[in-house]
Amino acid sequence: MSAEAQSSPEAVRRSDRREWLTRNQSIFIAYALAIILWGITSLFASDFATWDHTKSLLTEACFVGIVAAGQTFVIISGGVDLSVPWMLNSVATLLTLWTHGHDSSLVWVVPVLLAGAAGVGLINGIGVTVFGVQPIIMTLGMNGVLEGGVLLITSGGQSPNAPHTIAHLSTGTFAGIPIAVLIWAVLAIVAWLALSRTPFGRKLYAVGTNGTVARLSGVRVGRVTITSYVISALCSAIAGILLVGYVGQAYLGMGDSYLFTSVAAVIIGGASILGGTGNYFGTIAGALILTVLTSLLPILNLNPAALQVVYGAVILVTVILASVRIGGVRD
Amino acid sequence: MSVGSASLMRRKPASLSRLPRPGISETLPWVLLVILWILDTSLQPALWSSEQIGLTLANGMALVLVAMAETAVIITRGIDLSVGGMMAISNTLLAREVGGSTVSVLLWCAIVLIIGAAGGALNGILIGVTRLQPFVVTLATWSIFDGIALWILPTTGGSIPNSLITLPLGTWLGLPRTVWFLVLLIAIWAVLARTRSGRAVYALGSDPVAARLSGVSRRKTSIKVYAFSGVCAAAAGIFIATQTASGSPTVGDPFILSAVAATVIGGTSLFGGKGGFAGTVAGAFVFTLINGVTFQLGINSYWGELSQGLLLIVAVALHHATERGARARGRRR
Repeated sequence: MSAEAQSSPEAVRRSDRREWLTRNQSIFIAYALAIILWGITSLFASDFATWDHTKSLLTEACFVGIVAAGQTFVIISGGVDLSVPWMLNSVATLLTLWTHGHDSSLVWVVPVLLAGAAGVGLINGIGVTVFGVQPIIMTLGMNGVLEGGVLLITSGGQSPNAPHTIAHLSTGTFAGIPIAVLIWAVLAIVAWLALSRTPFGRKLYAVGTNGTVARLSGVRVGRVTITSYVISALCSAIAGILLVGYVGQAYLGMGDSYLFTSVAAVIIGGASILGGTGNYFGTIAGALILTVLTSLLPILNLNPAALQVVYGAVILVTVILASVRIGGVRD
Repeated sequence: MSVGSASLMRRKPASLSRLPRPGISETLPWVLLVILWILDTSLQPALWSSEQIGLTLANGMALVLVAMAETAVIITRGIDLSVGGMMAISNTLLAREVGGSTVSVLLWCAIVLIIGAAGGALNGILIGVTRLQPFVVTLATWSIFDGIALWILPTTGGSIPNSLITLPLGTWLGLPRTVWFLVLLIAIWAVLARTRSGRAVYALGSDPVAARLSGVSRRKTSIKVYAFSGVCAAAAGIFIATQTASGSPTVGDPFILSAVAATVIGGTSLFGGKGGFAGTVAGAFVFTLINGVTFQLGINSYWGELSQGLLLIVAVALHHATERGARARGRRR
């Protein structure tokens, strides 16, 4: 509990104590659910709880986890980023296309891709703040633009293999821990610090809670919002780089599932889609739950259809559990 | 005296301008539609035939139906992401179960529409009663409905009887059947919008508090509007079955965000209370015709994807700019 108290940003600390407890409650629910699912799965499969399997599970979770890190920032600001799928897919495709599978060109390709992603995030943010386009529409339109753009560049054809270094990043280990998971851990710490220990984090919660009040109290709302979209684009880009290394090749539609899973992870983790609440620890629990579910169902001999139903049910159950406590406070 | 008459002179045009006049969000979709239609038909004059118009309408009809669902929901300040899943349920169930006889076709179409209403009502109950956010609830039920569709039909397949496939083809009273179908949809909307429930939908979206104070039940209105959305999505699933002649568990997903886009291009505001189906029809066919034009020009169809995205952003930014301009003028006055 005390650890949770420290992780809460000051903007939140100022708000109603009961509401603050409720938010932590939903994060506890998420972790409890993750652990319960983990336990159930271990009962059915003896090799599930082994370190080997845990490693592969964490690696799979890290892609959702990293995309959802960016999504957490945007959702806390009161928006949503629907351009995630093709942001990820564009970066993955262009990486393989420009490197031709050779490590030598990574030196310029990776920085160019990250800068490009930041640029796309910047445009998203400017569209939302300066031109007043609603986040859903702005990022949805951007997703279409990215999809069309990448397909035009590649003509929809096959792309070359991922360079060895990138493949090593995603599949190799360092001190027994997968490198991709280490990268995720670093990003998680950065995300946690940014949200809870920096002025930017406090401003982000303020903007998401009430943009007008934030503006009147001197927060540059536009700048904060734009930054959240840049962060989201960068997170999707990093996930795209790691995913293309993990899969070995870029393919069209490889990012499609991350629209649903990234938003779902943030919501399961206790953030409100209305903005102003949530933190990255909750999102991590959300990403873990989604990944454990994916590996649980084959063990139970359930098909993908059941997985989709369970995904939906888990979202509903967690948000209903969270809202029961809030009661009349909502609205 | 002279000051008074001057202010009177100034007030007169001001009061005239307060009369409702079509803003950019009402006219833009129609302007775009006319431009694209002229472009499309000048590239291929054969499109002017009644048969071709019928086919163009048939191409866009599934999107029109899903966008009809989305329009009603967005007017209440909601959003329905589950329309894709509901469309898939209807499409796969039909492809798996429907037989060749007329009775079977009618029976299964009715069953599918009832399932649509039930699934939509479930959304409405969750949103209206538990007060959860529409985005979150329908994100969850989208996944659930998609899962059910995948369980009904794991892969693309099944069969659709000829009587259903030929239903949108041909003419009635000299006009393509799809034209009549579109007229029917517009008439249904016009009638529903004038009912008590229809007005409640607009009231809830424009000011939830005022709506509650004037006796509009948020709960009942939510259930009704999401049930309507489910029925429209199920109808879209039936219509797409006549186009593809088979069932597919993933048929609905591309329509979800396109339908939101068509609705918004058509002038319905995501902030609720404003808009209607007529603009949405124009918006949906703008998207359909963009694909047609890129095809006619012989350029890569990916340009269509790109320009649809750009168009969406520019249209909404333009709408926002003019609205802000109007508000600024209003304040000065």
